[in-house]
Amino acid sequence: MSREAWRVAEEIRAGADPSRHVEEVLERIERWEGAVKAFISLDLPEALRERAERLERKIRKGERVGKLAGLLVSVKDNICTSWLPTTAGSRMLEGYVSPYNATAVERVLQEDAIIVGKTNLDEFAMGSTTELSAFWPTRNPWDLERVPGGSSGGSAASLAYGGADLSLGSDTGGSARLPAAYTATVGLKPTYGLVSRYGLIPYGNSLEQISPMARSVRDVALLLEVIGGWDPKDATALRVERPRLDPSPAEPRALRLCLVKEMVEGAEEPIEKLFWNTIHKLSSEGAQLEELSIPLLSKALPAYYTIAFAEASSNLARYAGIFYPTKGSSGSWEKYVGEARARGFGREVKRRILMGVYALSEGFRDEFYVAATKVRRAIRDEVLKVVKRCVIAAQASPILPPKIGERLDDPLKLYYMDMYTVIANLAGVPALVQPLGFSQGLPIGIQWMAGPLEESKLISLGLLVEELTGIKGAMAE
Amino acid sequence: MKAMIGLEIHVQMTEAGSKLFCDCKANYRGMEPNSNICPVCIGLPGALPVVNKRSVELALAASLAFNCHVPDYIVFTRKHYFYPDLPKNYQISMYERAGGVPICRGGKVRYLDIHSWEWKECRLRRINIEEDPGRTIYGEGGILRSSEAYVDYNRSGVPLLEIITEPDLKSAREARQLVEYVLLVLEYLGATNPRLEGAFRVDANVSVEGGERVEVKNIGSTLDVEKAINFEIMRQSAIISSGGKVERETRHWDAERGSTRPLRQKEQEEDYLYFPDPDLPAIALRDMLPKAKAIASSSDPAALFEKAISLGVQRELAWSMVTARPSLMLYLEAVERGADPQLAARIIAVDYKGELREREKDPHDPANWPSADTIVELSRLMKEGAYTYDAIKGIVLPKLAENPAADLKLLLPQRAENLEQVIEEVLKREERAVKDYLSGKAQALNYLVGAVIRAAGKRALDPRAIREAIERRLAKK
Ligand SMILES: [Zn+2]
Repeated sequence: MSREAWRVAEEIRAGADPSRHVEEVLERIERWEGAVKAFISLDLPEALRERAERLERKIRKGERVGKLAGLLVSVKDNICTSWLPTTAGSRMLEGYVSPYNATAVERVLQEDAIIVGKTNLDEFAMGSTTELSAFWPTRNPWDLERVPGGSSGGSAASLAYGGADLSLGSDTGGSARLPAAYTATVGLKPTYGLVSRYGLIPYGNSLEQISPMARSVRDVALLLEVIGGWDPKDATALRVERPRLDPSPAEPRALRLCLVKEMVEGAEEPIEKLFWNTIHKLSSEGAQLEELSIPLLSKALPAYYTIAFAEASSNLARYAGIFYPTKGSSGSWEKYVGEARARGFGREVKRRILMGVYALSEGFRDEFYVAATKVRRAIRDEVLKVVKRCVIAAQASPILPPKIGERLDDPLKLYYMDMYTVIANLAGVPALVQPLGFSQGLPIGIQWMAGPLEESKLISLGLLVEELTGIKGAMAE
Repeated sequence: MKAMIGLEIHVQMTEAGSKLFCDCKANYRGMEPNSNICPVCIGLPGALPVVNKRSVELALAASLAFNCHVPDYIVFTRKHYFYPDLPKNYQISMYERAGGVPICRGGKVRYLDIHSWEWKECRLRRINIEEDPGRTIYGEGGILRSSEAYVDYNRSGVPLLEIITEPDLKSAREARQLVEYVLLVLEYLGATNPRLEGAFRVDANVSVEGGERVEVKNIGSTLDVEKAINFEIMRQSAIISSGGKVERETRHWDAERGSTRPLRQKEQEEDYLYFPDPDLPAIALRDMLPKAKAIASSSDPAALFEKAISLGVQRELAWSMVTARPSLMLYLEAVERGADPQLAARIIAVDYKGELREREKDPHDPANWPSADTIVELSRLMKEGAYTYDAIKGIVLPKLAENPAADLKLLLPQRAENLEQVIEEVLKREERAVKDYLSGKAQALNYLVGAVIRAAGKRALDPRAIREAIERRLAKK
């Protein structure tokens, strides 16, 4: 079953039985889920089977069949679904069922996909390892002692063991790309505004996008074609058509790659080695290389975290024990709210709320929040200048997937894992992470960044790299 | 003592159709609690605000009507405070000092003081667009003693204009005139119906010579604006003349007691953690300007007032029509179609309006007014001498007020020439009554009038005219 998802969908559209594919995936889940714990909620096997049967009848009747026919899609649990709970990985929302579907979910369903379940994440997407889920850590199928990255770790893990064909993740500062790098899967953070955020429980609104994840570049492109394009329900959505992505690999001689010092240096040795191998291979095939430095990028991480925390502190104000499952118990309103929030939020969420409130408070706003937005604008301008002439080649993660528990005690070490990925979010440009290979059995990824709405460039480059590395559709066994 | 008064007028745009950021209704009156809500206006996770363009157009028209400096674009900010009726625990507003851009900066209102018939001026500091919170309803005992509070979110998200004046007003009466005029303009623009319960609230900043500024909150009617400010001027003047000091404070207007009382002092200055709402990109106003200009210029009550005056209408009558928009519109249309300006004004502004008042019918409801054609026809009949004004006033207007859509022909009294025959027949038939009358029995005349009316059938008649006709006829005998 290591076929690419787009091929599975084509086979089903041509008459293959979707029920058989559902059984294949259910078998993988049966075998792996107990150890990996990628899902917070799984739909019932009977429900999935019934959907496959319904699709089969539709195909037999000759009705229009969608682009994702019979594919099993896992959905990160901060994306709203009306029939499965949406917890955002938090006790605050344990058992909460949204009355509506996110736009991306609606679009996936319209294309005849089957949603298999909701995947684990760091609470409210705040984390880089999926250990900060209020429920349990998810394990990396390639090495069960290690984290799958985060915050879309459940989505990445579900793909890596074959519990889903495609996954909807979200990416605020690398939350889809870091897990992709750690699980040998592919994650694409789209141009800000290309995918509707309607129904995505916000962490850092101005930074994040619902992001397609899959086991191959072409599959990621397929999912992006379905979820991308303007949505009247999101005022930040760009007024663009649904993207169409040409599935042909880039011509190496037409490639111009920029190596930005600050996004290349500083990674562990096996990562650096594989990175340069790939770059040299591309160069020897005819790609032009340009080395440069953007010193301002040293400020990217603090600027990113300041903005994300400020926005998060505001977004999370609504959880006050009225509409949501975790309640207070006192009669006094102030105490009641305090109790609900003390019970419902985990430690890291509380830390980020406090820092966000600090960054927005009178007397500090200029020094923190406003200063960070200025740095952000300057970084965006620099990045936009560069991506006008080339695709940026960058590391995805400075380290190999850490062991469970290893990074938890020091938040700074945790934040540092995002050093290469936050730049695309600050600049609002698309970025793709894909696997390059393995070191001692642990996946290593590479990151590509292009200009706004240049997802097609990333896809064709990704397809070329798949040809070079031969790594596509890898699944842990 | 000399007083300085500035106002903050919060007006709901009840006529904007939908709420500011969703499709729920802007006018929630008469609805079951919590039936006018959706994921957006109760702030459910993942739901996003999208600005209702009509609200912005109306706000822009208001800014133009008040001679404001209008920016190129507007920016919404979030204002945070925890309160049960504020579902997100932040309110979307426009705070200038944290990146917000209000729709009006620096304007002036020319308003009519109807006591002196002078046009006066009051400068505006700014106009914000913001969302109204829900409503908290307390159980028995009110806010102080009730152990229950109920929250109705039907109001949550209704578009509000927050209009802030400079302290240019010198008396309570001026303040009331200003508020009435501002509401009138907004009504003419089609932004609000100020007569709806809770459609506007006023806070007044009042200071007298030698004292600090005191803010009076919670004023809910224009009459109370005058009362509250007068109370406050007297209270502050009394303190100062007895050698005391007026401190800066916030007081609450108690409409039932007719007095202001201090609000509980907050322990510390609240920090609202303002920042630009990342879900709402800046909105350029350029495309909306033509429409807003058209609204503002065609619906200026001052210009319409002047127009009526230029037709020779007394200013009191002209103003009386201006204050009931349907009556003014009816008047202008009738005159344009050929009605006599004086007769039409007298019918509409004095006698018909009086009939409506007697029947407790709302003069602001267009359905309570006859058509312009009816007015034109009445004017023609009087001009041609077919009927006296008194006949129309005494017979037609009361019936018309009863049913404004009634057929005029059925309401008109029988004209004199046709009556002659009827009277002749009746007098022939009623020999005995004629004899009685001629022998000096006055009641016999009443009997004869009644007999003529009965004989004339359903047609409307002027009893006085019949009486006169009979008298004339019998005098000849
Ligand atoms: Zn709503």
